[in-house]
Amino acid sequence: MAAATHETQHPTSTGIDSRKVLMWIFLASECLFFGSLISTYLIFKGDSISGPTPAEILNIPVTSASTFVLLMSSLTMVLAVYGAQHGRLGMMKAMLLATIVLGLGFLGFQAYEFASFVHEGLGLTTNQFGTTFFVLTGFHGTHVFVGVLYLLSLLLAANRRTGLGRERALHVDIAGLYWHFVDIVWIVIFTIVYLIPNN
Amino acid sequence: MSNEAHVAASGPAHSGAHDEHPPTTIREYVMIGLVLTVVTAVELWASYNAHILGGTLVPVLLVLSAFKFAVVVAMFMHLRFEHGLLTRLFAFGLVLGAGIIITLSAIFWNDGTDVVGGGKTSVTEPAAAPAAPAPGTTPAR
Repeated sequence: MAAATHETQHPTSTGIDSRKVLMWIFLASECLFFGSLISTYLIFKGDSISGPTPAEILNIPVTSASTFVLLMSSLTMVLAVYGAQHGRLGMMKAMLLATIVLGLGFLGFQAYEFASFVHEGLGLTTNQFGTTFFVLTGFHGTHVFVGVLYLLSLLLAANRRTGLGRERALHVDIAGLYWHFVDIVWIVIFTIVYLIPNN
Repeated sequence: MSNEAHVAASGPAHSGAHDEHPPTTIREYVMIGLVLTVVTAVELWASYNAHILGGTLVPVLLVLSAFKFAVVVAMFMHLRFEHGLLTRLFAFGLVLGAGIIITLSAIFWNDGTDVVGGGKTSVTEPAAAPAAPAPGTTPAR
């Protein structure tokens, strides 16, 4: 117990665990990464010589459903963190599993969207809209996939007898930060790419 | 050593220090999720009824998006209950990211070098063909 407690609370001058600070620094750097991709999309989306154009091809109802799925995954993730912090390991495991399933659901929606776009003639190299759209949403989808693997590793660790327990809540907390960041990036992408009219 | 003792020994006391258990309850988390869903529905409604909002559509969508962003960061990521250092770190990245979007857009939005005009006109509108030089003349540069 003492060893486990020591693992979650390193003495630092600020009182904040260094791993948590590192995750926040990483997320701050990710703001620059996605900022670059979003600005590239905004600059080039209207410069295509040939179609399909955003107004012709974007499927807002389907994307709205996937947005709802990702929002709900943030809710289940925060409940997993709650369970970990309050020693309710059953709740933590169930909510982690629900978050993984919802994350996979979001990826399924994205795979469907990408496949339908390719079927309608929009590929990565078709025009500038296609290039910037697939790069932006593809990188976000990759982040979701990495998040699913991250949560899966936590769930597997939690199911080991000596694995993730109450004293390891910090691990779930940090994973939650990553997952919520993926969600807030999608909040911005959904508005800029899908909701703002593309005329 | 207990968690509490360890935290107490780890540095100066600060009211905004990392709290092991944010005070938010399950019911409050669910309510926040519900609010986020409702705001998303409002965004969708606004997007499908652009003619009603007219020129205010884009600002309204951006404000609603910023609201959802702030709620998730403050309540789900617990930044509201964390040490101020984490808030400053994240805000630094966020300001730089927003700065990148604003700066690049300002530089390239109407740079006049686009294939299809320089003013983000219709994406299907063909570029105007340059006037053919008269025979025997040097094309103007």
